[in-house]
Amino acid sequence: MTNSRLESIEDFAASVAEAVGATSHSSDLGTVKVKVERERWVEAVTAARDIALLPLFSWLSAVDWTNDVAVGDPPAEEVEERYEVMCAVSNVTDGQIVVLSTDLPKDDASIDSVVGVYPGANWHEREAAEMFEIDFIGHPNLIKLYLTSDFVGHPLKKSYALISREVKPWPGTVDVEDMPESASSDAPSFENPDA
Amino acid sequence: MLDPSVLHHLSEAAVAIELETPDMTLNIGPQHPSTHGVLRLVAKVDGEQVYDVQPVIGYMHRGYEKISEVRTYPQIITLINRIEWVSGYANEIPFLVAVERIMGLEVPERAQYIRLILTELTRLSSHLMFMGSYPLELGASTPLMFALRERERVLDLIEGVTGGRFHPNFNRIGGVKPAAGAGPSQKKLVQDLPKGFLEDTRDAMDRVLSTSDELEDLIAGNEVLLARTKGVGILPPEVAMAYGVTGPNLRASGVDFDLRKRSDYLPYDQLDFKTAVTETGDCWDRWWVRLVEIRESARMIKQAVDQIPSGPLQAKVPRVIKVPKGEIYVRAENPKGEMGYHVISEGGQVPYRVKIRSASFNNISILPHILERILIPDIVAIMGSLDFVLGDVDR
Amino acid sequence: MSDLLSNFWILLAIKLVAIAALVPVSALVIGTAELKISAHMQSRIGPYFAGGRFGWAQLIADGIKFFQKEDIIPEDADRQVFRWAPALVLLSTVALFVVIPFSPTLIVRDLDLGVFYVLAISSISTIGVLMAGWSSANKYSLMGGLRAAGQLIAYELPLVLAVVGVVIQAGTMSMVGIVEAQASFEVFGTIAVPYVAVQFVGFLVFMTAALAELSRIPFDLPVAESELVMGFVTEYTGFRFLFFFLGEYASMFSMSAIAATLFLGGYHFPGLDPAIWGPVVLVAKIFFLAFLMIWFRWTFPRLREDQLQTFAWKWLIPVSLANIAVTGVFKVVF
Repeated sequence: MTNSRLESIEDFAASVAEAVGATSHSSDLGTVKVKVERERWVEAVTAARDIALLPLFSWLSAVDWTNDVAVGDPPAEEVEERYEVMCAVSNVTDGQIVVLSTDLPKDDASIDSVVGVYPGANWHEREAAEMFEIDFIGHPNLIKLYLTSDFVGHPLKKSYALISREVKPWPGTVDVEDMPESASSDAPSFENPDA
Repeated sequence: MLDPSVLHHLSEAAVAIELETPDMTLNIGPQHPSTHGVLRLVAKVDGEQVYDVQPVIGYMHRGYEKISEVRTYPQIITLINRIEWVSGYANEIPFLVAVERIMGLEVPERAQYIRLILTELTRLSSHLMFMGSYPLELGASTPLMFALRERERVLDLIEGVTGGRFHPNFNRIGGVKPAAGAGPSQKKLVQDLPKGFLEDTRDAMDRVLSTSDELEDLIAGNEVLLARTKGVGILPPEVAMAYGVTGPNLRASGVDFDLRKRSDYLPYDQLDFKTAVTETGDCWDRWWVRLVEIRESARMIKQAVDQIPSGPLQAKVPRVIKVPKGEIYVRAENPKGEMGYHVISEGGQVPYRVKIRSASFNNISILPHILERILIPDIVAIMGSLDFVLGDVDR
Repeated sequence: MSDLLSNFWILLAIKLVAIAALVPVSALVIGTAELKISAHMQSRIGPYFAGGRFGWAQLIADGIKFFQKEDIIPEDADRQVFRWAPALVLLSTVALFVVIPFSPTLIVRDLDLGVFYVLAISSISTIGVLMAGWSSANKYSLMGGLRAAGQLIAYELPLVLAVVGVVIQAGTMSMVGIVEAQASFEVFGTIAVPYVAVQFVGFLVFMTAALAELSRIPFDLPVAESELVMGFVTEYTGFRFLFFFLGEYASMFSMSAIAATLFLGGYHFPGLDPAIWGPVVLVAKIFFLAFLMIWFRWTFPRLREDQLQTFAWKWLIPVSLANIAVTGVFKVVF
């Protein structure tokens, strides 16, 4: 990725942030991410579609930010306990994609549904609702998507333990495959076999 | 009471108005010949007329997003190529690119080309599968044999390079698998593309191109098939985009959106190819777009085989892969559509969160919208034309 | 010997045995032909090992397998109807063999109203299909049965109307009479030509409608596998399933035989003595027609219900009516 491309992404991020009324934006690693306030979520997503001209809905999901994790590694630094809801929308002219993001407090995990803006968000919100226990206000049919209706728990929460990991603890680095010789400085070079 | 103007078939309106007949609920699946696995449709039907279809998914949910939180990055690669098993190899690419970008690795060009060739071979395999299975769903079984015969050649090529046909697990972070039997105890035999691979690939691509003509003769010249697909299941572009339908399904609706042209995850800019776009967005167009893509992919592979540079297969990668803190979304043009991974790394060997955006999930979320007010045989015709895989829907 | 044959009851017994043997044999031969021909059309080999060579015993082995299977009747099924439906389907097929003339004398019964009998009997199998669909207590089966009924009503008409042309031309409804009429039917010069030469439209309509009667692709909606699982046979297993299977292939044979008799000159072939060569000639013609049906089956997808009905009512019936009018005018004028 060239510098000019990175600069143009930075410009693009700024323009989208202005269009949706974002509180902050970033374009680290080429991923445009704009943060909006939770109260303005539907408004911001609508603006992304109509003003920033991003008609292609890509995905909607959430992240459980917590310091007390039952599985995996905890965050590197202390984080604020919250859910981050993310919605990625894209344009179809030059392939730019924007991740809109907002924070929900853990004790009031509810947000307005964007199904009215992008109907494709329907299933994504159902998935996020069952996986994170987030309430999408105004969703037409907020029933479980993947899980059975009598399923207990919300699997993608960091507090939801994986039973198999409880039974057999994390093995550490033993099953990490050794990287081969190419890691050293004399990496072998290859010719085309019949060139 | 029914409004006759909204019925496709006016002859049925008169009957429906005179005698009020209760609707029948038809449960299609999860075990049914045409649901590609374990999709379940709950359809409200009145005779042959379908009024409402609600898909029920989740029979194959394997929780990859959760499992990814307790797997190291190299282990996740093994997981994710099982998401969409018809084109397993292509699933790995966006994840690898995401991890490599966070780590700041520069993948050698030879490895990039090998990835590109294998991705396009996978696309051929997936589209050829569609070429065979779609007519089968409409009742014609001969194209299946023709398409699978060619797909076998493509899978042989993939097997020749990677040793696997469906789940090659050939990629490594920073490049492609450089050595056979890598492991601490074995003496490493350095491995590259097999001898004669490039020549075999050229021959196979010529065969694929001639088979695509054969399939066009067999299917595009078939009146019954045209009658079954033309004007059926029309998907307007704005609806398709609002639902996040991508890939050949979106291009069939007239939106020229191909991530191979619009993104830089593999050196597609070095190749000369066209994207297939059609106007109407009906089942026939979705079939046609995939046929054209087979041809374009075959040509791309021939170009890539001619251009493939010499060089190393692996970037310099530490022995144990630790990914620095970062957040990235990388997407790629999978045979089924946009496949993307939103990787959040907090530093360390395991990701904090991996959001898997799979193409078929969005592509079939359109079903309740598109399967309204049609006939029962059209359910099969439309569903088949969307070309989804249940593993890709349920993840 | 001739005394023995002139005894009505002994003759009847012999005829019964002959037909009882002919029906499964014809079904097996046509079924095996379908397996092998379809395989070669799809660049496959097809059955290979059963019976030592060419897999000729494949369907016999299949039949034995079916007899070993459990006979499952669904809990909610209407048991009596469910049991009798396959028998009724096979019965109508067997009854068709009664009027097929293999030679001037080799025929079970040369009815005066032979054609009429054929058209009437061939529709009975649809009642069996409807019974099967209704009694299975399965929504797919029910829809398959209803589709079969709709298909019967739509395609019985063109079938009858296509035959009317032949009947007008021959001036008789007897099957033997129609073949003899063709044997002496000369258009140009002295070689007898079958009716297909002048009744070509009627032949096409008849074959199309026959495909629909037989529920074969492109008209296999009653069993449409990708939509209705297996339609009316969904719930059938074991030898009841085998009955449907036998019925399908045996009626392919009998329908081809009727088409060959009505349009292709039946057992008659110029220069061959029908008394000796009749059966061979007829079977050759039957296989030619059966090959066409198999060829269609492995080339075409299936139609949609509305297209199927449109095709029958808007195309086949007007065309066959026009055919009757033209035939009638020619018959009177010439």
